[in-house]
Amino acid sequence: MSGLHALPRALAVPALLLIAAEAAMRLGGGTTSDALAPPSAVARALAIGLGDGSLLAASLATLAAAIGGLMLGGALGLLLGLLFGTVPALARLFSITVEAIRPVPAVALIPLALILFGFGYRLEISIVAFAAIWPMLVFTQSAVAGVEPRLIEVARALRLPLGARLWKIVIPFALPRIFVAFRLAAGVALIVAVTVEIAVNPLGLGYGMTMAQQTLRPAEMLAYLVWIGVVGWVLNVALLAVQRRAFGRFM
Amino acid sequence: MTAPIALRNVGLTLGGKRILDGIDLEIARGSFTCVVGPSGCGKTTLLRLVAGLVLPTEGEVQIGGTRVVAPRRDVAVVFQDYGRALLPWRTAAGNVSLALEAMGVAPRARPARIRDLLGRVGLAEHADKFPAQMSGGMQQRLQIARCLAQQPEVLLMDEPFGALDAMTRQGLQDEVLALVGDSGATVFFVTHDLEEAAYLGDVVIGLLPHPGRIARQVAVKLPRPRDQLATRELPEFLRLRRELFDFMRTAEA
Amino acid sequence: MRGRGAVWQLGSLLVCVALILAWQAVAQARLVSPVFLPPPTRVWAALVRGVESGVIVQKLAGTVLRMIEGWALASVLGVALGALIGTSRAARQWLGPTLEFLRPLPSSAIIPVAIALFGLSNGMVLGVIGFGALWPMLLATVHGFAAVEPRLYEVGRALGLSRWAVIRKVALPSAMPDILAGARLGLTVALVLAGVGEMLAGRDGLGQWILLAARAFRAPDLYAGVVLFGLLGYASALVIGLVERRALRWRQG
Repeated sequence: MSGLHALPRALAVPALLLIAAEAAMRLGGGTTSDALAPPSAVARALAIGLGDGSLLAASLATLAAAIGGLMLGGALGLLLGLLFGTVPALARLFSITVEAIRPVPAVALIPLALILFGFGYRLEISIVAFAAIWPMLVFTQSAVAGVEPRLIEVARALRLPLGARLWKIVIPFALPRIFVAFRLAAGVALIVAVTVEIAVNPLGLGYGMTMAQQTLRPAEMLAYLVWIGVVGWVLNVALLAVQRRAFGRFM
Repeated sequence: MTAPIALRNVGLTLGGKRILDGIDLEIARGSFTCVVGPSGCGKTTLLRLVAGLVLPTEGEVQIGGTRVVAPRRDVAVVFQDYGRALLPWRTAAGNVSLALEAMGVAPRARPARIRDLLGRVGLAEHADKFPAQMSGGMQQRLQIARCLAQQPEVLLMDEPFGALDAMTRQGLQDEVLALVGDSGATVFFVTHDLEEAAYLGDVVIGLLPHPGRIARQVAVKLPRPRDQLATRELPEFLRLRRELFDFMRTAEA
Repeated sequence: MRGRGAVWQLGSLLVCVALILAWQAVAQARLVSPVFLPPPTRVWAALVRGVESGVIVQKLAGTVLRMIEGWALASVLGVALGALIGTSRAARQWLGPTLEFLRPLPSSAIIPVAIALFGLSNGMVLGVIGFGALWPMLLATVHGFAAVEPRLYEVGRALGLSRWAVIRKVALPSAMPDILAGARLGLTVALVLAGVGEMLAGRDGLGQWILLAARAFRAPDLYAGVVLFGLLGYASALVIGLVERRALRWRQG
């Protein structure tokens, strides 16, 4: 909307903050701090991490766990959402059960998953999957239940069988909102994956960051933080672009 | 206490575009002035200038002999889009109260004033309803009540009945005539409905577009009180209607 | 209709009970090792024991206090900052893109930094909760204030309301739905971060309790803790829901 000339303003505040941080660290002699590092040192650590492949390897590990969990939980949520959306009776019968399980924060299941699976991908994927179910389930259900009744009547007038009704009317109608759910679930998946890594699991970006902190390398720790931000931002922007391209005309 | 509205050589240029040009206008105290003109002629902008919501780039707008530099509390504005001009989270009573709060009326004095104002616009029974629970006509009545709460010397109305159905519109026209007859306020009424302008006004002003300027000023010599059936059948009304229609036809040609 | 709703509620409850009974049957038949899946009766017993001895109540209180403290801090700061940014076009242009860039950053990623700065202290956990819950509050408030109907600002000007009165009476109530949505999300984030923070820092709370229970293979205690986490999440959503229903009564037409 505001295009290129908005860019200088957008970058002014972060640039100013970085300069201020750099100046404060140098003047304060804090360059040897265990907790903080000047932006220049963070940038150097980021470049080294990207150069030796360690950041990319960690990113791949985190993304693998996040995507695995997203696929598992997302598929489950999608199926349940379609089911509950098309058969309201089922949705009502399971409402209390769903309302009882949904508020459990995914991280509260970390200890349980730990004794079930031990450290590793299965632990992380299971927690991410649990978290990814709910946005998919809730959005899909309401999207499917909200299909224009007139279209259902059209389908009935055409005597479409149930399968065709779902495939040709309900799912295309609900698809844009299901994609929004997927985008939200993907964001949740990344957040939960990093959280599990920071809390217990020795792999990926979260673990790399924790290790940098424990071995007192603040520049590397902050480089991980910046990189995690970049990964989250790119994921978000990419999914938004896909959404706009694929469904821009409907939404 | 000096009410007349005066515009002296008022012009407005926005973003290099000439919106209004050389507007000279005197409006007598207690009179009812209607403004008509094709769309894009700057009727609404003219009203916003009088309200002080927009300031002219040339000339000056005076109310009661003083120059308008900002909105004044003794000038009330009834917006066309009542749905957006009411606070949706306040009840009818709460919306009227907003004006009393702005006027600095003591909290204890407010309920009686609110009851009186809602009664005057026929909403006494609906004090506790939220705008979303009211029809369009009721919402516009509510906005009028909020404006009356300001005890305005000048009432500015921007196509207030444009979005309402014909029956509701006629009812509200008569209510507004009765209300301003009681209060003695000077009314500046923008409309695109020529019959409405002739029916309500003492004076009808016709604007021409590009840039917006005053092209005609017609005195309405119809007896008051006006009546939806009798007035509209008078030869003078029909002649006036014809004159305004001809003006619009040439304006749009 | 009310009677039929109750029947569905009963049916829904029966399904839930049936699932718990199935869990009991599976656990008692030892289809799954009780180390991983204790029967519900033993989970219940662990819960009762924990409540009677006061241990679990103390852990629960620790988590609740921490969560509310951090969340309240974040809410006050988030609404104040969000109002400042949201009401100013300039602030939105200068700060908006930075906020949008930080939006998808997992707030748990701040934990190692917080540990490096503050050690494994209670202040660290509080800081992390506050930081994490700040974002949803801040972003929702900015959006709410930026989306206020411009016509309402004009009404405020026409009534001569002061800037403070406009914020208090027009902008804040208008932004309230967004602020409450942010508060809901913030509370969820606060609970998650309270749990993780307690696990990492070993602070007295439910997070630490379930981690220790898992390490000692005390499955009933572990499940009891998870149930309490769920109850906590449910209760916080319930409270926000009640506040929403009261504060946003005007939205139901």
